[in-house]
Amino acid sequence: MPIAIVGAGKIGQAIARGFVRAGLVSADRIISSSPSRECLTEMGRLGVRTTYDNMDAVKPSNIVFLAVKPNIMPAVLDEIAPVINERHLVVSLAAGITIDFLEQKLPANARVIRVMCNTPCIVGEGATVFSRGSAAKQTDSIIVQKFFTSLGFCDEGDESILDAVTGVSGSGPAYAFCAIDAIADGGVKMGLPRHLSIKLAAQTLLGAAKMVLETESHPMVLKDDVCSPLGTTISAIHKLEQQGFRNCLIDAVEVAALKSKEISVKNQQKTQLKQEYEEDIKSAAFIQ
Amino acid sequence: MSVAIVGAGKFGQAIARGFVRAGLVAADRIIASTPCSEDLAKAAKIGVRTTFDNLEAVKPSNVVFLAVKPDVMRTVLYEIAPIISERHIVVSVAAGVKISYVEDKLPVDTRVIRVMSNTPCMVGEGATVFARGTAAKDSDSVLVQQFFSTLGFCVESEESSLDAVTGVSGSGPAYAFCAIDAMADGGVKMGLPRDLALKLAAQTMLGAAKMTLEPGSHPMILKDNVGSPGGTTMAGVHKLEELGFRNCLISAVESTTVKSVELSQQMLDEDKNYDEDVKTAVLKI
Repeated sequence: MPIAIVGAGKIGQAIARGFVRAGLVSADRIISSSPSRECLTEMGRLGVRTTYDNMDAVKPSNIVFLAVKPNIMPAVLDEIAPVINERHLVVSLAAGITIDFLEQKLPANARVIRVMCNTPCIVGEGATVFSRGSAAKQTDSIIVQKFFTSLGFCDEGDESILDAVTGVSGSGPAYAFCAIDAIADGGVKMGLPRHLSIKLAAQTLLGAAKMVLETESHPMVLKDDVCSPLGTTISAIHKLEQQGFRNCLIDAVEVAALKSKEISVKNQQKTQLKQEYEEDIKSAAFIQ
Repeated sequence: MSVAIVGAGKFGQAIARGFVRAGLVAADRIIASTPCSEDLAKAAKIGVRTTFDNLEAVKPSNVVFLAVKPDVMRTVLYEIAPIISERHIVVSVAAGVKISYVEDKLPVDTRVIRVMSNTPCMVGEGATVFARGTAAKDSDSVLVQQFFSTLGFCVESEESSLDAVTGVSGSGPAYAFCAIDAMADGGVKMGLPRDLALKLAAQTMLGAAKMTLEPGSHPMILKDNVGSPGGTTMAGVHKLEELGFRNCLISAVESTTVKSVELSQQMLDEDKNYDEDVKTAVLKI
């Protein structure tokens, strides 16, 4: 069962690498399409088949992953719609592209699933939430669950939460990278060599996150546990509170989630405008 | 090989759990000692032997971890000094306690190693840096390296770097816990159920950290690669910059490091006062 990955950018490469690394599908059963030679070269390095033509990828495949940027989605959907039939499962990974939008563009009863995953899928530690379209079957959910569980954590959820998911885990890796960089800067300021500082910062975040996931303790309880009376850690906590550290992140999640919503609304409006325009043309032609 | 863990508090338990989980030392070859019965019960749950008596733990062991709080370090060192011999490797994991402080109270030529580690040792993902004392041998370094490598990342360095290490990785888990909690709060604010928000926040942090640890990666290049033009990520990143997010963390690392330096100095000062008090007392007699 061949798989198409339309779009060979960061996310497309991430899922290809992840699926192959997890042994879920062999590289030569994946066909990736993109207009970018650079991207296709990267894909080629994984052993994935490549093509400049989206149709070449979609036609023979059963599962079609759409990993293109949100602003190109409308054009791609228009392009592949004619060859999408009941054999296909269309899985969209684009932020802010709603199920409604996907279903409007594709043939009636096209089986659609909307996914919000993230780049750590590349290293098998992704975070993914997906929602089913109106024609998607139980078995489609199971397939998507299987695919993304091989890349990390995956859960099904209502579409209404996907903007919030984008804010937390979709964009979240960037906040973590900033945090690691900043902690490393602090270490260098206080005398550590850069490479050791980055290593310690990243390892610390990894270890702490693993503690939250494994012990299932509340993070603030874990924080309490590492703060001894009069110690160095509680001193740092105070500093973080003074500077509104937690607020930074709550705000960032909110802004990203709202942006995701904004993108979906804009796309919906554009489609509506286009539809109205096309109807106007039709009626104008009729009048003449 | 027999291991003593003097001080069975949070960190003592973390390394005990780590060593047993990693299969490095059999649980019954570890003896934990502490005056606190609650802690002792927790240590017993890990499967290690326990005692209220530090000497009982130290005598039969060859590697002695000192995982007590800095303020009781002096008492503990004086207590165990009489039975410390060339057979022992003394590994201090206490924050802010200098090698000289430890060596001063133990017999001459005691092999001492100072470690700055962290609690994620207990899930096998610790970050540890250690420094050698004056009498510690190459083989002692190798042993400590082995121990802490099974609990995560471990490297040897100069003692002078250990205050900064405290700031980055010693106290660092707390910054991460706060970050995870805050991201989860953000998720809940925007409509996620709490448990999902928490799961996503922690998983995201773990995944991003893992990506950074891949060879040849730089966090800021990885950050560049997350966002698309006009997308959600750069909106989030801008907000972080607006609010001085990175500054929070640089300041936190700095303040922890300074506190660690202060603590070490305090302990040395207390030593001076202690010695003076003893001298005065002796003269009075």
